Amino acid sequence: MTEGSPTISGSLVIRAENCRGCRSCQLACSFAKTRVFNPGRAMIVMERHLSDGMSAPMIKPIGCDLCGGDPACAKACKYGAITYEKGPSQEKVVVRLSSKEGS
Amino acid sequence: MTRPTSWGVRVNLSTRRVDRAPVEQALSDAFLGGSGVGWRLMADALRPGIDPLSPENIICINPGVLVGTLTPGTPKTTVITKFPTTASEDGKHFIGACTAGGRYLGIALKRAGCHHLLITGKADRPSFLRIRDDAIDVVDAGEYWGHGIEEVMIDLVEREGPESGTIVIGTSGENLVRHALTIVDRGNSLGRGGLGAVMGSKNLKAIVVNGTGGVEVADPDAFIAASERMRDSIMRWPRREHWIDLGLAAGWSTFKHTQYPGIWPKDRWDELYGEETRIETVENVIACNSCILGCRLRWMTKGGEFDGEVGYGSPFSKSATSGMLLGVEDFRKVIHFVADANSKTGIDFYTTTRLIDFVTKMYEIGRLTSSQTGGLKLSRDYDTYEKLYEMIVTREGFGDVLADGWMRLKREFGLDPQEYWYAGICKGVDFIYDARPSSFHPLMMTFTTRPRPHHGGSHTMTNSRNKTIEEIRDQVERWGLPEGTIDRIFSESDYSGKFNVGRYTRYMEDMMRVKNAIGLCTIYTYQGLLFGNDIAELYSAATGHKMTALGMVECGERISNVAKVMNVREGFSRVDDAVPEVWFRPMDSPEGRIEMQDYYQTKILAKQDTDRILDDYYDERGWDLETGRPTPARIGKLGLGSIASDARGAL
Repeated sequence: MTEGSPTISGSLVIRAENCRGCRSCQLACSFAKTRVFNPGRAMIVMERHLSDGMSAPMIKPIGCDLCGGDPACAKACKYGAITYEKGPSQEKVVVRLSSKEGS
Repeated sequence: MTRPTSWGVRVNLSTRRVDRAPVEQALSDAFLGGSGVGWRLMADALRPGIDPLSPENIICINPGVLVGTLTPGTPKTTVITKFPTTASEDGKHFIGACTAGGRYLGIALKRAGCHHLLITGKADRPSFLRIRDDAIDVVDAGEYWGHGIEEVMIDLVEREGPESGTIVIGTSGENLVRHALTIVDRGNSLGRGGLGAVMGSKNLKAIVVNGTGGVEVADPDAFIAASERMRDSIMRWPRREHWIDLGLAAGWSTFKHTQYPGIWPKDRWDELYGEETRIETVENVIACNSCILGCRLRWMTKGGEFDGEVGYGSPFSKSATSGMLLGVEDFRKVIHFVADANSKTGIDFYTTTRLIDFVTKMYEIGRLTSSQTGGLKLSRDYDTYEKLYEMIVTREGFGDVLADGWMRLKREFGLDPQEYWYAGICKGVDFIYDARPSSFHPLMMTFTTRPRPHHGGSHTMTNSRNKTIEEIRDQVERWGLPEGTIDRIFSESDYSGKFNVGRYTRYMEDMMRVKNAIGLCTIYTYQGLLFGNDIAELYSAATGHKMTALGMVECGERISNVAKVMNVREGFSRVDDAVPEVWFRPMDSPEGRIEMQDYYQTKILAKQDTDRILDDYYDERGWDLETGRPTPARIGKLGLGSIASDARGAL
């Protein structure tokens, strides 16, 4: 979100290095939006790093409405790669580079 | 409530014809869908007696019913084919199923509407099968032929996009090595027993799948509520943190006892291959799709001649047992074979290293001579092992004999696989585990009774030693087994102790059919985290077909019987289910004498004991004790009369 956007109720925090690539976030997101499991309809793109076999979730800020304050992706992620932090925020998505920062 | 429809897709590589047809609901209901339906389709489609490496063989690929949904962990795709491993001296070949997870393949198949993909024929040149939803094409793969698995996988994903699911064979599959397997996505091996050679025989280097559709469930509210409840409950498993930290590197403290090959003292093994050694190479632990207990490893070798080598999969248990058997003290040298097999050649590490162990030892004691090996001198050293590995992959010289497996060694040189000293061999397949250090637990039994000896998906809690009767009883109750059945499982005998392994094994196999049909990873039943009642709840909500745990086991029984009847048609009978002879020979180790005992280690088992346990297994199945084949009465009761008619003479 750009500066000056209205304050929103929380942020999705992405810690890509915790991602195990299970794609639960994509499945949960698409299901929350469409009642059908379809990674192609999710507001999350899973980056596939062919150099090292790892993955990283990338959330599309346009289209993501944080599920009204209870994001399905954060609930589905069991590895701490996507968490939801409640509280006034200017950013829908915050990317943290290390799990040690702020965790 | 709308019930989702499954589709069967048939591809003939010779004619390039593709047919697509919906699967009748009644068929899905009777066989659960997924690989259950796959088996039933194969019973009609696969002509008995064909050569597994001929165009007539069929590769039947079935993502599980729950693959592509959000569950605790249902990533599995199951493939059914006739395997090229020579299973008996008279040249029989078993028809079996193999499973693999992965992050992309299963979901991609489901999204492309390929619930049962049957591939037959032979492409006229090296090719790959490209699936983009309805558009299915046989594409020239000349540029890939001769190249390693990972290289080809990366190129295919770059071409077809990051959501692509892949199955790729390596050079050993191209060369029709009978124990060549395939790799799904990255590091998930599929098809011990020769699926890689079957693909190679069809000129099929790879399958790459993309789909845009979604996976629907019949009752979305009930499904997601049940799924979230189960996921949250498994998150409370006390060992989860350790498990997801170490993945498949976990478990050394048990493994070093249950898979001990008996050559080095255990503390020496600890030092060379133990947990501390493992941990230093683990880089990442990766999950298959939907799984909350991710366990696949990305490792990197540190130091030594293979410094910096990266691999995917699970190198540790493999390298530890074969390393001791081959007498290689530097674990990195053995892990190199795992890395090379998974990323390049696609050869089965176990079979290859065990064959090498066997022939080098036979050479050393003069049972094999250089005139038989084409002039090659076989020493018990790493250079020889590397040379033999390469020769098997390329079928060069003596490697050609080894590439045809254990039975050819017997036929050509009189070296009987039953003489091999570790783990044993049944139906031409060498086992990973040995029943002497681990005891005669039900998984051991399934190695001998299943049509395809090695088979993912069958683990239950009894894979761990000494689970209490109460724990095992609680488990089978949650699978809905009736009280009378449970009483039979726990009736004491002088040959199987307090726990009747033969009777239990029948249900364990049927549970395996259920797990494979729905795509559930076997870790969840191995660790006692999900049971039949949980699976039935998810299945009912997903398919709209109300099922109980017992109902699922009954479908599993039907699937097991289809598999058995198909193998009876190939000539298999009780003699092929024999327990490996080595299990009855005491293992004299530096730790003392180790002999095969019953599950609770109360007595040493002799052949007459395991024969009676096998009797009980057949009895529990309602099969003939003498032939080990299904009786017409049982087949009729299961509604399989039409399949059995082909085999009636044999039943």
